[in-house]
Amino acid sequence: MRIMDGPPGARTGAAPLLAVDVAGIRCANPVWAASGCAGYGRELAAAWPLSALGALCVKGTSLEPWRGNPGPRVAETACGMLNAIGLQNPGVDHLLTRDLPWLVRQGTAVVVNIVGRTIEEYAAVARRLGDAPAGAVAGVELNISCPNVREGGLQFGADLGAAAEVTAAVREATSLPLLVKLSPNVTDVAAFAAAVERAGADGVSLINTLLGMRIDVAARRPILANLTGGLSGPACKPVALRMVWEVAGSVSIPVVGIGGIATGLDAAEFLLAGASAVQVGTAIFRDPWAPVRVRDELEAWLRAQGMASAREAVGAGRP
Amino acid sequence: MEAPGPAGGPDRRRRSPWVREEALVLAQDQGGPDWFRLLLRAPRIAPLAWPGQFLQVAVRPVATGLPGPAGAPDLAGSDPLLPRPLSICTLDPEGGSLSVVYRVAGRGTALLASARPGERLALLGPLGLSFPDPGGAASRPLHLVGGGLGIPPLACAAAWARAGGRRPQALLGARGAAGLAGAAEVAACGAPVQAVTEDGSAGVRGLVTDVLRERLAPGDEVWSCGPPAMLAAVQRLCAAQGAEAWLCVERAMACGFGVCLGCAVARSDGGGFLRACVDGPVFRAGDVDVAEPRR
Ligand SMILES: Cc1cc2nc3c(=O)[nH]c(=O)nc-3n(C[C@H](O)[C@H](O)[C@H](O)COP(=O)(O)OP(=O)(O)OC[C@H]3O[C@@H](n4cnc5c(N)ncnc54)[C@H](O)[C@@H]3O)c2cc1C
Ligand SMILES: Cc1cc2nc3c(=O)[nH]c(=O)nc-3n(C[C@H](O)[C@H](O)[C@H](O)COP(=O)(O)O)c2cc1C
Repeated sequence: MRIMDGPPGARTGAAPLLAVDVAGIRCANPVWAASGCAGYGRELAAAWPLSALGALCVKGTSLEPWRGNPGPRVAETACGMLNAIGLQNPGVDHLLTRDLPWLVRQGTAVVVNIVGRTIEEYAAVARRLGDAPAGAVAGVELNISCPNVREGGLQFGADLGAAAEVTAAVREATSLPLLVKLSPNVTDVAAFAAAVERAGADGVSLINTLLGMRIDVAARRPILANLTGGLSGPACKPVALRMVWEVAGSVSIPVVGIGGIATGLDAAEFLLAGASAVQVGTAIFRDPWAPVRVRDELEAWLRAQGMASAREAVGAGRP
Repeated sequence: MEAPGPAGGPDRRRRSPWVREEALVLAQDQGGPDWFRLLLRAPRIAPLAWPGQFLQVAVRPVATGLPGPAGAPDLAGSDPLLPRPLSICTLDPEGGSLSVVYRVAGRGTALLASARPGERLALLGPLGLSFPDPGGAASRPLHLVGGGLGIPPLACAAAWARAGGRRPQALLGARGAAGLAGAAEVAACGAPVQAVTEDGSAGVRGLVTDVLRERLAPGDEVWSCGPPAMLAAVQRLCAAQGAEAWLCVERAMACGFGVCLGCAVARSDGGGFLRACVDGPVFRAGDVDVAEPRR
């Protein structure tokens, strides 16, 4: 695993317990908000200061605005939920002109989750991020794992060659720290992590949602208009943790753990498995304060363990 | 706070800052074969709320005094995962209380039905945009048109309209008398109620829109909440009659405060989707296509 640079607080002489640097993205703490679960930050900022987050991953952003899927788009499952939003978003220009200028003033690292229908579109979004003021975008999270769109999702995330190709094209298009967000809908996730590492990724984040479905037995039809959707929430945590474990053991770039994290001890499990940071997604829907609570609970756990830094926990659960 | 006005005249809907609150269950009683009334003490949320807004209600009471380390996996807390959106039925801002009236539609609402006085329920709210501020046009007829579980929010709406000097008239429909959940609350809030049932077991037999068609005059105002087919009929009727309609639209939703984009409502101009939770649930009838695509 790559040894990370000094945390931001190091310069001031403080000894920040939680500060981490993940693939060149400097964060006050290892708890981020997951893409698609925090919008562009405005709604959550009404409840708590976004500076409490290690980073905010914005909603999947495309070159042009995307409409998204018709409803119903969400359905609850046992300790989880399915979604088929279809990457509705107002496009990268809207992000650059409306949301980013506001977001950078909130004092959190902004990670832009990017999507495209073709390799060229992905690269074009990444290139457009170069128009943002220096430092406004902390990193790019390349989403090749959305299960809810025909093009620009699993077409790249479930094909080793395509995953490497789109990673290389985006690497070429931006000098920002580049995370590739991996899909769990593959047999050997570590092979995908290795492929994108070779193609120039600075880190990987995982998991995106697990492809699933529900059927309304009264109507005898699938509940989601899209028929299938992505499973998220606590129900998917064991799968996510196992995949983070496999990936962290097989690449040398940092790993960001995602999937069902709702408490500080959930986050601790992911760090112990080898994640350098975590993202909180669906838990926000149940409790808008979840990321702050996860951070505070993680901090309490680190202190109770007698650890001087969150970095000490990373991979500490590996034999 | 007033919402930004779309085309078509001033937008008088209100938005509130939302907060969380562990509300005390004051009373819960069964009002019909499949519906309940739940009275809650919510002194933070009640003073912020406006009729038409809703709450996200965690259906299991807050567990207190359980042993275990902070931050431990809260498995019971994840089941059910999501809170349930319920409209505010009656509202007492000064007394710090409010009520919801809900149908047992599935597991979540069945769990809620077992909440007992003295227990606490976690609420998030008030969420979404209210009905339009009713003040300023005392003589303008206002019809409150509700169907089934769309009836409850019309209770506090009636009280608000009365306080604003209006004389609202309610048309409340259901399949049969037992389905008129919240109709008594609407009447108690000061709107004369005409019940309309499909089987004729209460009020007149038929559909609310049959009666509305006879009553509606150009320039009237309509506030409506109910199933998509009813809202679509109200929408057509009001457009044909030149009446101003505001529709409260319900969609399956996850977060309730705007981040997940789950509760999509199609814009009538074909320009994509709005969110029921923050761009509504009350919409100007001309702005949205209320028919659920397919279920
Ligand atoms: C803004 C808003 C206000 C609402 N106000 C009220 C109210 O005042 N009283 C009331 O009884 N109900 C209201 N509802 C509907 C209520 O939220 C659902 O009936 C409830 O979530 C069902 O939960 P459940 O776990 O019991 O059923 P589930 O097992 O989750 O679902 C049972 C059935 O209800 C459907 N359903 C699930 N969620 C919704 C939803 N959000 N809207 C419509 N149908 C849904 C499901 O598709 C399924 O067919 C409102 C919904 C919204 C969006
Ligand atoms: C409603 C919803 C929308 C999502 N949108 C995106 C998205 O735009 N881009 C993306 O990479 N992941 C998206 N995700 C996936 C999450 O970022 C996350 O990877 C996944 O939900 C697992 O984490 P969780 O269990 O904490 O939610 C979305 C998830 C949900 C539930």
